[in-house]
Amino acid sequence: MLLHIGAFRLDVDSERRSPWHDLIPSTRVLCMVLMVFAIALTPNGQWKTWGLYGLGIVTLVILSQVTFSALAKRVGVEFIFIGVVLLGTLFQRSGEVVWQWGWFQVTTVGLTNLVSVALKMLLSLTMVNILILTTPIPALLHAIATLRVPPLLVAIMASMYRYIAVLADEFQSMRRAALSRNLMNSRKTQRLVIGNMVGSLFIRTYDRGERVHQAMLARGYTGLFPQAEIPKGSWRDGVAITMVAALAIAGQMFYIQGR
Amino acid sequence: MTELLLMSISSFQAGSRMLPLAMHIPDGFLSLPVILVTWILAIALIAICLKRAQFEYQERTVPLMGVCAAFIFAAQMINFPIPGGTSGHLLGGTLAGALLGPWAGSLVMVVVFMVQAFLFQDGGITVLGANIVNMGLIGTFGGYYLYAAIRKSLGWNSLRGIGVGAAVAAWASVVVGSIICAFQLAISGTVPLPVALSAMASWHVLIGIGEALITVTALGFIYRTRPDLIYKAPKKAIANRSMASR
Repeated sequence: MLLHIGAFRLDVDSERRSPWHDLIPSTRVLCMVLMVFAIALTPNGQWKTWGLYGLGIVTLVILSQVTFSALAKRVGVEFIFIGVVLLGTLFQRSGEVVWQWGWFQVTTVGLTNLVSVALKMLLSLTMVNILILTTPIPALLHAIATLRVPPLLVAIMASMYRYIAVLADEFQSMRRAALSRNLMNSRKTQRLVIGNMVGSLFIRTYDRGERVHQAMLARGYTGLFPQAEIPKGSWRDGVAITMVAALAIAGQMFYIQGR
Repeated sequence: MTELLLMSISSFQAGSRMLPLAMHIPDGFLSLPVILVTWILAIALIAICLKRAQFEYQERTVPLMGVCAAFIFAAQMINFPIPGGTSGHLLGGTLAGALLGPWAGSLVMVVVFMVQAFLFQDGGITVLGANIVNMGLIGTFGGYYLYAAIRKSLGWNSLRGIGVGAAVAAWASVVVGSIICAFQLAISGTVPLPVALSAMASWHVLIGIGEALITVTALGFIYRTRPDLIYKAPKKAIANRSMASR
């Protein structure tokens, strides 16, 4: 795939050696998806289940030797942005009233909801971020291609990934140009300038797409990228997937049996 | 160099995600039935979009959809003031629909949401289907057909038809998307309907105005400079194009 110059990287920990890094990328993606679905689909209030999953994820954090500060920073920032939405889960009418202030009341159901959703979010964010911090993006794209995501979709994602940095840069420089010409000083002109910027950048983008296409044709492109060799899994991958699946099922058992 | 770029990208993202994030549902907010139904809808949409876009753009699909997705991603990072005192950013669904058509436009938006969910955790993995339905299916696909209907009734080739169509469609797609999102949250039992509706809808009525203004300005710019790039281009573009030497 054409993934080299100018593309950004998120994988600060991809060069380490650990049991987690020994797994092929598609196994890691599969483990992540299994875990996230198990976490997110657990009904509210199942503390034991999330306790078990939490233990599993903490083990993974230690095993994968992921840089803790980088992980905490990413999860923290993402958590804060979602936090606003979280507050909405508190407003429930049913359940015992724990605290009341005018029309605003905090009920047991509301509290259970809030803490459950927050826990689910925290666990799944941590899981996804472990994957992102330890696996290079091109490897991730290859991995999802081997997991039967349509090749055309993956190819589009790959070429998008290649150009995000380029286009973000073009937007930045256009904005800087407008700022330095004093065009951004009133709210109305600001909107006008940004609208025109978006328009003119689309024209450039479309032309760039045509140019890229010509360049690809010149290099023998026939409609899809040639697939690089798929890394073969070993017994470790089988064991890892089995363990994650067992953990996911064990967690679900807590409340299914409890009924 | 890459470090610097990444920093600018992430700070960009962080800044832009401040408020209108409400439409990107995170993991853990939706229940199994809602997730199932939205995933089925989303997968059907993706399958048809891939087929139609491939048919329309042939082997230009990959480079063209790729750069266009990167364009939408970059455009979403820019904050602009919206009437009412706060700031918002473009979602770009209707813009993508008006420029690339409903199929390719939806495909571009789907790719943007997937990359946002996987690489930037902007929206969850399990709820990706719901996010695609709310912003891709309704925002782009619904947005396009509303735009096309208005454009048809006001004059297919006129700037007025395109402008009014895009403005109404952009505003409506954002508001309707947020209302559907509120219903999904309520059905899942996460946020009660009145709270979700009032918080989401009232906020997105404002966001939608910003969306409409930027969409119309951008389309107006393209209409004046390169009208042939508008999907089903106005007549003057076709006439000009055949005379211009390329």
